Amino acid sequence: MKNPIQLSAKDMINSYLLIFVIHSAQVGVGIHGFQRIVYQEAKQDAWISVLLAGLATHLIAFCMIKTLEIYGSNDLYGIHQDVFGIWFGNFLNVIYILYCSVAFFSVLRNYIEVIQTWIFPGLGTWFISASLLLVTIYAFTGGLRVIVGVSFFSIVLALWILPLLLIPLKFASVDSLLPILEANIGSILKGAKSMAFTIIGFEILQIIYPFVKDKENVKKHVHLGLLFTTAVYLIIMLVSLTYYSEGKLDKTIWATLTLFSFISFPFMERFEFVAVCFWMLIILPNLCLYLWAASRGASRVIKISGTKFVWIFSILIFIGTLIVQSRTQINSINTHFGNIAFYIIFVYPIILLLVAMLKKKYSSQKEQK
Amino acid sequence: MKKVTFYIIPLFLLSILVGCAETDILDRVGLTTLVGYDVGTEERMSTTVVVREVNPEFQSNVEVITTENETSKGNRMKANRKLSKKITIGQMRVVLFGEELAKDDLHSYLDSLLENPSVSNSLYLAVVEGETSVLLEHEYKNIDDIGQHIYRLMEQNIKYEHMISSTLHEIAHDFYMVGKDSAIPIIKKEGELVELTGVAIFNDGKMVSSLSLEDSFYVKLLRDNFKSGIFETILKEEDIPPNLIKGTSNEMPVAFDAIKSKRELKLVDATTPEFDFQLKLKARLLEIYPDVESGDPKVIERLEDAMVKNLTREISRVIAHCQNVQSDIFGFGEKYRSSVRNSNLSKEKLHDMYKDMKVNIKVEFEILRDGVFE
Repeated sequence: MKNPIQLSAKDMINSYLLIFVIHSAQVGVGIHGFQRIVYQEAKQDAWISVLLAGLATHLIAFCMIKTLEIYGSNDLYGIHQDVFGIWFGNFLNVIYILYCSVAFFSVLRNYIEVIQTWIFPGLGTWFISASLLLVTIYAFTGGLRVIVGVSFFSIVLALWILPLLLIPLKFASVDSLLPILEANIGSILKGAKSMAFTIIGFEILQIIYPFVKDKENVKKHVHLGLLFTTAVYLIIMLVSLTYYSEGKLDKTIWATLTLFSFISFPFMERFEFVAVCFWMLIILPNLCLYLWAASRGASRVIKISGTKFVWIFSILIFIGTLIVQSRTQINSINTHFGNIAFYIIFVYPIILLLVAMLKKKYSSQKEQK
Repeated sequence: MKKVTFYIIPLFLLSILVGCAETDILDRVGLTTLVGYDVGTEERMSTTVVVREVNPEFQSNVEVITTENETSKGNRMKANRKLSKKITIGQMRVVLFGEELAKDDLHSYLDSLLENPSVSNSLYLAVVEGETSVLLEHEYKNIDDIGQHIYRLMEQNIKYEHMISSTLHEIAHDFYMVGKDSAIPIIKKEGELVELTGVAIFNDGKMVSSLSLEDSFYVKLLRDNFKSGIFETILKEEDIPPNLIKGTSNEMPVAFDAIKSKRELKLVDATTPEFDFQLKLKARLLEIYPDVESGDPKVIERLEDAMVKNLTREISRVIAHCQNVQSDIFGFGEKYRSSVRNSNLSKEKLHDMYKDMKVNIKVEFEILRDGVFE
């Protein structure tokens, strides 16, 4: 196997940190409003769709780890180059870099849209975009260990939001969930597919794998991270389904944020304003990890330094956020990106695993001869 | 690294210098605490806003402004032209609808409230008997801030379970639910006071009828569980068991408090449809005329029976009234939807079915205790 990545121990991370990396990469802007999209397909059985989507992530993560284990210490880019050769492999790598960039862009643009709709309608896109990019660049220049640290803190500092979901429960009615399994299997699966945009992010595993110190524990921690995400999504989905009536959920764009809007404290009238601002902490690992993944790819395809890449990347993204202005544009990007992501994340890793296994078999036979 | 810092510092400073968002400083804004919508005389919509202008040196003053326009935002702009301070709506606590407007359609008004992110989901809605502008523009002798007053009025009545809850979330929840219609409290100007007088009941977006204040207790009994309610009724002659009281009295007022209630609704027959409604109440006897021997367990039992009869009759009456005007404020339709597979319920289908719906009411009433003096 060609070009494995050699790293010194001080660049590596412990495998338990993958729980945080995986979870924080998955949870981002999708969580704001995934309920309605899934609900439109699966109606009151939307929570089953969420569960199925969660199951699918476990399955795909299993395939990804299998593929990575064949190569020992290499990332997706190296595997591509080895399996498909330099030219086609690099072509796939470029696609993957583009995928990461669009994912980055979509997280950033969606978050800006939320800020502009909820809190500061007058604040310029360029300003939020530039400040978020600056923060991201700052974290990125710190290297992987800093990015992983950001992931860790983004989760630990955001954990207190989860118990707040109990407050809307006082308006919950279990009747909204009944009758169970009224939607047919097709719609439930369609609902699960529409979760793609929300639940992706764990593909970062394919890039971060060589940086993990104790590789034998990767499996356990990745699945733990995925399980945590699925649980969070499931809880939010159940709370939303019981809190909203059917017509209202259908019309609420960011159901999670509206869920927060009922919560108020004596010292704080409108909690969702805090939630929206606080969400920056939650999307920050998203941005950092996608940027890092893209830059890893770029450095392997063309020999470009991280600093140079990050500036070019940021300027392009910055211009992008200025071009995409309206909600309709953002929504169409989300839908298309969700569809493409479904194939890249949920279909392609299985194909890659098969090809890599074939190749391994073929080359080990050749060695024996 | 040095190079990066070299770029980042100027960019950071630049963003601080230009990144100031629009500010809302307390003494430069007028806080809208209440908005009332009416049908306009010339244009589509007439709004009356109660704006509180906070003044750090003097007492805050309250302005009530009525404007007419096609949209509520247009009205806001018009009202802005009459004030020295910018109107903000983040502190809005109550939204009132004139009776005429409620009878027309409330859907678009609720939509525009829900659409605006600065409107809180926990504000209260109410229907005004007559016109909101009349209610709000009156100079009440003892009420300084009519917006705050109505908010407190509704808040305490809802909190202590004297009135059904009508936060924007709950009303919108019922409006957009296929199997349920909304019910909103009615308020009215009563001399120098503002009073809650009943419950407006809706068919989809239209107010079709109203229930009296006494009936609002039964509405709440049917819709929610009581934690600690208070209730007064008059036991009629037919309710009263012959050997309960000595004298000849054909009416018997009783009052209870600390009422705990638990409701259970079951669909027993999907074709009619037929429901079983079971209600369990526990209460404390507070007042009764003429006096009975409340220490005697037999008397208490008879009184409980009388209450069961009374409640069953009153609840059936309220349900029958709502069936008459085709307003399912109790959520029978939702129960139907959640119990019948592939029901494809729609509001039209619900109201069709609702007319012929049957409800079997079963009440259990338990008097736990009375006061400190028998």
